[in-house]
Amino acid sequence: MKRALVPLAVLALLALAIAAPQYITVRYYVQLILLAMIWTIMAHGQNIIQGMTGYVSITQAGLMGVGAYASTLLSIRLGWPVWASMAIAPFITALFSVFVGYPSLRVKGHYFAIVTLAFNMVIFIVLMNFTSLTRGEAGIFNIQRPEPLFGLVDFDDRVAYYYLVLTVAVVMTALTWLLMRSSIGRTLRAIRQNENLASACGVAVWKYKLFAFVASAFYAGAAGALYAHYIGFINPETFGVAQSLDAILAVILGGTGTLFGPVLGAFAVVFLPEYLRIAESFRLIVYGLLLVVATILMPRGALPLLGRAWHAAARRLGFPK
Amino acid sequence: MKSFRTLSKLSALALAAGALLTASPAAAQRELVIGVTDALTGPGAVFGLPQANSVQMAAREINAAGGIRVGTTTYNLRVIQYDDKTNPTEGTNAVRRLLDRDNVKFLLGFCCSGATSAVASFIRREDAVMLVGNAAERAITTQGIPNLFRTRPPADYTGQAAGAFVARQGPRRIAVIGSLEVGLYVQYLDAFEKEFAKSGGTIITKEAFGLRDRDMTPQLTKIRALQPDALLVIGYVEPAAFVYRQSLELGLTVPRFGFTSGSEEQFLRVVTSAQMEGVWDLKPTELTLESASPVGVRFDANYRAAFGSSPSPSAPYAYDQVYVLKHALERAGTVTDTRRIADAIRTATVPPEAVMRYLPVGGQMFDENGQAYTSNGAFQWRNGRWVFVEDLPSDPVDYSKFLRSLRQ
Repeated sequence: MKRALVPLAVLALLALAIAAPQYITVRYYVQLILLAMIWTIMAHGQNIIQGMTGYVSITQAGLMGVGAYASTLLSIRLGWPVWASMAIAPFITALFSVFVGYPSLRVKGHYFAIVTLAFNMVIFIVLMNFTSLTRGEAGIFNIQRPEPLFGLVDFDDRVAYYYLVLTVAVVMTALTWLLMRSSIGRTLRAIRQNENLASACGVAVWKYKLFAFVASAFYAGAAGALYAHYIGFINPETFGVAQSLDAILAVILGGTGTLFGPVLGAFAVVFLPEYLRIAESFRLIVYGLLLVVATILMPRGALPLLGRAWHAAARRLGFPK
Repeated sequence: MKSFRTLSKLSALALAAGALLTASPAAAQRELVIGVTDALTGPGAVFGLPQANSVQMAAREINAAGGIRVGTTTYNLRVIQYDDKTNPTEGTNAVRRLLDRDNVKFLLGFCCSGATSAVASFIRREDAVMLVGNAAERAITTQGIPNLFRTRPPADYTGQAAGAFVARQGPRRIAVIGSLEVGLYVQYLDAFEKEFAKSGGTIITKEAFGLRDRDMTPQLTKIRALQPDALLVIGYVEPAAFVYRQSLELGLTVPRFGFTSGSEEQFLRVVTSAQMEGVWDLKPTELTLESASPVGVRFDANYRAAFGSSPSPSAPYAYDQVYVLKHALERAGTVTDTRRIADAIRTATVPPEAVMRYLPVGGQMFDENGQAYTSNGAFQWRNGRWVFVEDLPSDPVDYSKFLRSLRQ
């Protein structure tokens, strides 16, 4: 795509997202888009550690759970305003991830993936068994939506909450874009390409990797807080290893290391299983097969494929290069 | 001219008669869609699938008997069902799909607590009526949600009665093994322990297993070394069946009590009848042919004929929901005003078609919390099947007050 067209396409997509609740008559689809936007935030975080740095972390859902529980407990147990709880939750998650990342990043490659997988399981078990705080499997009910904004916007209304999530998703996407363009982003990509070479060039590789992990946790924490106050109920079920694998899938499906790939992947991860409900009990088999086929045919994700399709279409239509 | 007038009159009459003949049945016979969300796959499917089948069966029976008469209109039921996989997000999406896309106002099923709790947290804001079945987590009916009703009593209501029963049987030192990370089982155990302690009994150990665990020999080996007087097994059918089998394989021959709600067929997939001999199940008086009324016996026969397998003992919780709804719609005289329909349910008596043996509170099926109560019963495995032995003394009025006191 011609570079000048990219901002236009982004603006068009944004306009579409802003207008969506007004023209979608079936509110169920607003729900799915809203969840997909929360997943977008989570997938952006996954993309920072997986796509930009080259470290596959299998703990993103666990970290999302930390954010969800942090925000919920602050607002319910300590009586904090929901806005404050939601704002602080990503920072708590980021702080927590320092303790997870510090030992995890001592190892590389598959070992790193296994250590983070173990951490996700530890988070799950703690959430499940620390019942005096988390109520375990029974979960926490009646999690409030944020207080009305200036007494005007009532977030009990799903559409209002949609715009809140859209705003956060746009801000997080913009942050990711800034990170990608910054020297930190370039360093992270250098680590992904050749960690030893980057280290030999004097880069404090370990610090950058920890930064990427903590940043990804920050995104997961934000996604968790938004999720908890939207659904109104949380239990550990939502924050297990299966959901972490979905986050990895979102990045792979959309396009690893790209800005908009995780957006595409997040929508696929939310919408595909829902659309396959027509296949009922076969839907998970169909979903699995689709993912296998997609991964084989699109190893770099859907976004590069879409880019090539755009170029081909532009050539046929005779658009100038 | 005269013949033309006569012809005109005759034509008008014929048209009017034709309109009456064709229009009146079409106008009076309509379709009413009810939605089911339940665990149709995964570990919860042992409860969810029979529940969903039961709703289908009740709807077919009602349609065959002429439908639901609301005012001058008769409605035939059509059921849409979605799988919630016992997952809160899946459950929320399934219900949103029913409410927003399929325009359903009546939600039934709900076998498992996680997904049900997620839906319960927002259903108050919706123009809908929710009837919960087997999901036994207490907090579902402690929130005073005006449009939510549950046919199954909470787990601790049964645990209390079970504790008193086991104490009467004589054991003093009990070892517990179960799904102790699942809220409803924890609540059952807490109530059991409190009641059991009143008679001087103690729980000497609490060992946990996961929903998908199949090898419980490490926990049972530890329990055997502690030499308990009895074993209490609480959890889903399959892991519980493995515990019963492996306890005998390890030579643990003490009396075995349980809280599982599994059918004979479900247990016999894992364990032999000989290995099950003498096991107690202390649970709400659910469907067993021994305890069933003629309605229950008919339900069992119809279910087997329709689905080729026996219903799970908890399946009628969902079957009864359909009849509760039917009578409420007929009493409310509307299918659209959910507030009036919820009021009709709240003041309903137990429908004559109900399979479970409900204990009304103040003459009504549901108490002020939207909670129904069945009697609790002691069932024992004898010669290949569950035999109803006795009722466990339970006080729904007292428990109802306790439940109300928990409302936040």
